[in-house]
Amino acid sequence: MTGYRLSSGGLVDRSKSLSFTFDGRPLRGFAGDTLASALLANDQLLVGRSFKYHRPRGIVSAGPSEPNALVTIGSGARRDPNTKATVAELYGGLAAKSQNRWPSLGFDIGAANGLLSPFLGAGFYYKTFMWPKQFWERVYEPFIRRAAGLGRAVLERDPEAYEKSWAFCDLLVIGGGPAGLMAALTAGRAGLRVIVADEDFRFGGSLLSTSETIDGAAASIFADRAVAELQSLPNVTLLSRTTVFGWYDDNVFGAVERVQKHVAEPSAKLVSERIWRIVAKRALLATGAEERPLVFGGNDRPGVMMAGAMTTYAERYGVAAGKAVAIFTSGSAGYRAARALSAKGISIAAIVDARAEANDQAPDGVRIIRSASVVDTKGSKRLKGIVVERSGFEELIACDALGMHGGWSPVVHLACQRGAKPIWSEELKAFAPPDVGGGLRPVGSANGVYSLSGCFDDGAQKAAAIAAELGFSASLGASPVIDGETASSFAALWYVPGAKSKAFIDLQNDVHAKDLGLALREGFGHVEHAKRYTTNGMATDQGKLSNINAVGILSGMRGVSPADVGTTTFRPFYTPVSFGALAGAARDEHAVPARKSPLHGWAIKNGATFVEAGLWHRSAWFPRAGEKTWRESVDREVLNVRANVGLCDVSTLGKIEVFGPDAAEFLNRLYCNPVLKLPVGKARYGLMLREDGFVFDDGTVSRLGEEHFFLTTTTAMAGAVMSHMEYCAQALWPDLDVRFTSSTDQWAQMAIAGPKARAVLQHLVDDDISDRALPFLAARKIVLKTGVSARLFRISFSGELAFELAVPAGYGEAVADQITEAGRPHDICAYGAEALNVLRLEKGLLTHAEFDGRVTPDDAGLGRMLSMQKTDFIGKRLSTRYGLTAADRMQLVGLKPVDADKDMRAGAHLLKEGTKPSTLNDQGWISSAGFSPVLGHAIALAFLKSGRERYGERVIIFDKLRDQEIVAEVCDPVFVDPQNEKLKA
Amino acid sequence: MASLITCPHCGVRPKEEFAIRGDASCVRPEPLDSDEAWHDYVYVRANPRGRAVEHWHHIAGCRRFLVVERDTATHEVYSVADAAEFARRAER
Amino acid sequence: MVRDYNNRHALEQKLRAAPTPPAADHLMVGHWRAVATVLARSGQEETVQRAIASVPEFAMRFSAPAEWLVISEAEAPSGLARRLEELCGAMAHVIDLSDGRVVFRLSGPNGRRILAKGIGVDLHPDVFSSGGSANVLCGHIPINLARVGEDVFELIAPRSFAESLFDDLMRMGREFELTAAFAD
Repeated sequence: MTGYRLSSGGLVDRSKSLSFTFDGRPLRGFAGDTLASALLANDQLLVGRSFKYHRPRGIVSAGPSEPNALVTIGSGARRDPNTKATVAELYGGLAAKSQNRWPSLGFDIGAANGLLSPFLGAGFYYKTFMWPKQFWERVYEPFIRRAAGLGRAVLERDPEAYEKSWAFCDLLVIGGGPAGLMAALTAGRAGLRVIVADEDFRFGGSLLSTSETIDGAAASIFADRAVAELQSLPNVTLLSRTTVFGWYDDNVFGAVERVQKHVAEPSAKLVSERIWRIVAKRALLATGAEERPLVFGGNDRPGVMMAGAMTTYAERYGVAAGKAVAIFTSGSAGYRAARALSAKGISIAAIVDARAEANDQAPDGVRIIRSASVVDTKGSKRLKGIVVERSGFEELIACDALGMHGGWSPVVHLACQRGAKPIWSEELKAFAPPDVGGGLRPVGSANGVYSLSGCFDDGAQKAAAIAAELGFSASLGASPVIDGETASSFAALWYVPGAKSKAFIDLQNDVHAKDLGLALREGFGHVEHAKRYTTNGMATDQGKLSNINAVGILSGMRGVSPADVGTTTFRPFYTPVSFGALAGAARDEHAVPARKSPLHGWAIKNGATFVEAGLWHRSAWFPRAGEKTWRESVDREVLNVRANVGLCDVSTLGKIEVFGPDAAEFLNRLYCNPVLKLPVGKARYGLMLREDGFVFDDGTVSRLGEEHFFLTTTTAMAGAVMSHMEYCAQALWPDLDVRFTSSTDQWAQMAIAGPKARAVLQHLVDDDISDRALPFLAARKIVLKTGVSARLFRISFSGELAFELAVPAGYGEAVADQITEAGRPHDICAYGAEALNVLRLEKGLLTHAEFDGRVTPDDAGLGRMLSMQKTDFIGKRLSTRYGLTAADRMQLVGLKPVDADKDMRAGAHLLKEGTKPSTLNDQGWISSAGFSPVLGHAIALAFLKSGRERYGERVIIFDKLRDQEIVAEVCDPVFVDPQNEKLKA
Repeated sequence: MASLITCPHCGVRPKEEFAIRGDASCVRPEPLDSDEAWHDYVYVRANPRGRAVEHWHHIAGCRRFLVVERDTATHEVYSVADAAEFARRAER
Repeated sequence: MVRDYNNRHALEQKLRAAPTPPAADHLMVGHWRAVATVLARSGQEETVQRAIASVPEFAMRFSAPAEWLVISEAEAPSGLARRLEELCGAMAHVIDLSDGRVVFRLSGPNGRRILAKGIGVDLHPDVFSSGGSANVLCGHIPINLARVGEDVFELIAPRSFAESLFDDLMRMGREFELTAAFAD
């Protein structure tokens, strides 16, 4: 084979010459080329090595079904492995590299696998790597891993941007060939919102590579005019370089648009690829038909190509695949290719027709050999000749390229992605798209209509029918006049007998005809088994060329119809989609949104270190000069709160306003403790259970008016509590007159805690905030001296005298600054979530580290909160069941190490002294642990079997992660101020 | 990739806006109903292939619980109703 | 428009730089706008809706059945809540959310294409017409979206999400050279 650029013709722009490299070799092509057409024009026939045997391989197709011409494009982080050269648009400066070869494409050591091929048949891995067992990890797996894979993944951070977009339309036309364009014109003119998507960079499909003329002009001119008209219609969107890869529920289609994969210097304004989610009232599957390769001896030699691809290279790109081209065909399209090539001045060596009879017309003077087969090919890295067998006689015919044609298969993939199987059609000798209802209808050659005029008519009629269904009226224009149309037919030929060398079915995975025979003999004859046993169709091309022949061969061997063999399952994606595109913009810091507290600016000013808590960025601690570790900062903050006063941002707590005449009743059913008689102006600790009797969340409930309650939830469960309340109000008790809404974002909430909290707060308010006027658990609406409306709660999560002050979020920073300023003489400090955690731990107060979904109120020492006098509340019924009230349940206790310098960690398990660690001997676990700067040693909260009876006992803390065993003493979980003297000061 | 639910309050919305809670056919027993009734309500769920009613919470929209009647195998949606309406109807 | 210099806007940090002249596609951030949620009491939905709709300086956004966001450019937050209480306090619950919401106004010829990158709702004017509003998801962030003109959309977002939403919108508008600034 000798590829070269024809002296004229094609749709490439010969005035725009582009330079590019292949394996470092500088080459030139034209604008409008694909990488494959440009390589072919430069006579670069060898483009890759096959997967298993590392055989030399050349370009086979001119589109997305390409099994061989997979290359790596670009370098560094912008490198794209496994790109099909047949769809990669050429641009100036493109750098392509071949894959799966070492040390070079021309000389590849892996080709020795070919010599081992008798041992590398189907199922080789399954049979060989079974024993000895210990070889798996050390020998087999490393070997298989090294051999596996095609191309090399990019490990650097992807510098490209990606995004997703929604689109909505009345009609999505998938494929911009003759049927698709005609459908789009019909629907677009009628006023439907139409989207036309085509994977190619140029609309037209087969119109770009046919020699037929339309209305007296080249078919490509018809395509250009159609595109121009569609572009002028405001209700039509044309998406080129866009592959519709999936069909999903509710007629939603997934598509990927390669926005700027075809440029050397991407614009920073644009993304590299964009995923479209297209919601279509109707869609037309105008994806065309795939030409079938033939399975004959030596069919993988570089120079053997689809006959249609040869035509495309000649007509569209002005490139000849060879100087002397032979055609091997079982249908009329082989003759059509011969005529097209011949018209371009390419010499045709012979037409080898597998059929005995045909009335297809060959170019003048071309020899036709009927009832004949190609049984072998000659040449090594390029084709030099073919061996043709007829009636037992063999003949060597010299040629440098061979076009093969085995008929057509409609591209049915999308229609089969939601469970429907394609239907075998004896008439089409192909699997036709199934009837999947009106949402997605096949049209044109995807529907088995192979003539150009038929495609135009089918497109127009189906679009007009859809327009009518959607309430539009479409008129069918005059059909275009086509010249040069010939009838199309073929005979199904799954396997060409008499192969003298390997006859490949799947070129990418190196599956040949014998492999399928082996699979059948060993009991893997079902099409899905055969696929997995032989790996036929499992490569990146998903068997676009090979599957149909595999089905045909299996049907022949099993003696049944292809209908009985069926096909393997079609799933998204039609062609591979990059992970970058699928992730879209949701990556790095944009993977999830960040929620910022209204006091974020205050925290930054005070030097906070932040921690992510769910979506929130919370201030964790506030390091000061000289502090080397976080612990130093946290210890200082804790001691300062205990001795003086601290200010903490608690804005991230969930906040819910509840209103209505039935608000009290509603909350009484939600919380396990009584709420009904909570007086106005008072707050209460509240505990919600799940219906199964375990603790769901805790928080506070304050009554701000007779029919107005204000709830706080934990930060973690804010969303879940809101959803739970909505479920209860809407689905369980829709007749309660209660309304509620979240006010989490409205309030900046600050905890002012410590013995001097009152003195500091008094600077901001005129109100009497003495213990008498504002006792523990008081809740008030107040107005600050500055005139800002606020809410003041006397609640504490530290065990200290504490207030929580809520002000409208925008004022948060100003008020926090004011408190910080007013507190300066009282040695106020900012404290973060870490100190907050230590303070509550010292006081034995609980968080979701304790409420982990396995804990009942009684386990947590809160059993007295359950108000069993209430008729009903969520979780009441199941909280009394057997098992939840057993005496040997794990109960909350405190732990302190016997050696004061020992550390404890959450997650460690508890054992009785002298017992071995085992599930049976497990006595409980540590839920939270930390260092208490007040006590000067580590403390922990733990759940221990019958723990409340075991204060004073010694237990072993077994920490397998750190391989540590520590002796600790069980104690009351309240380590500091058990009498609540500080709290109620 | 996507599926769509027609919210009776907000119109056609992608599934990303919803949180699915599960079987909507269970009715919360009365407080004094049998242990078995409560056990079934809290723990026992059928996993039907085919028509089923489910609670879909339009969490990023109107925040209403919806009762979606759909085919679990094909995702064909037969009806969508507000959960409060559904509960009231069930009581009658 | 009310301005209170002790009240810090959620996007003050983001929009601190000197404003660039607005491009064709422009994102305007309301400095401090009065926003309240109104929850109608049971059976009062229509009366409440009529009462609020009768006040010309109030804009009403649909959130859920019997639930609206009411925004006003003329009122201070407390003033809006007070007027709403007077207007329909007996029929509805009024919650001032002026500090808890950030109002964005996206205008320009490419608004629909920009928003389509985050919002899975058909924004064709025949489907989502001027005056229409609804709670929707934009990317990962729940917002209220309204069409206030042929090429003008208003987005009301929770304050804590405002910076993330702003970053998202600017990214979504990058291809159209979207600009942003405070309204005043």
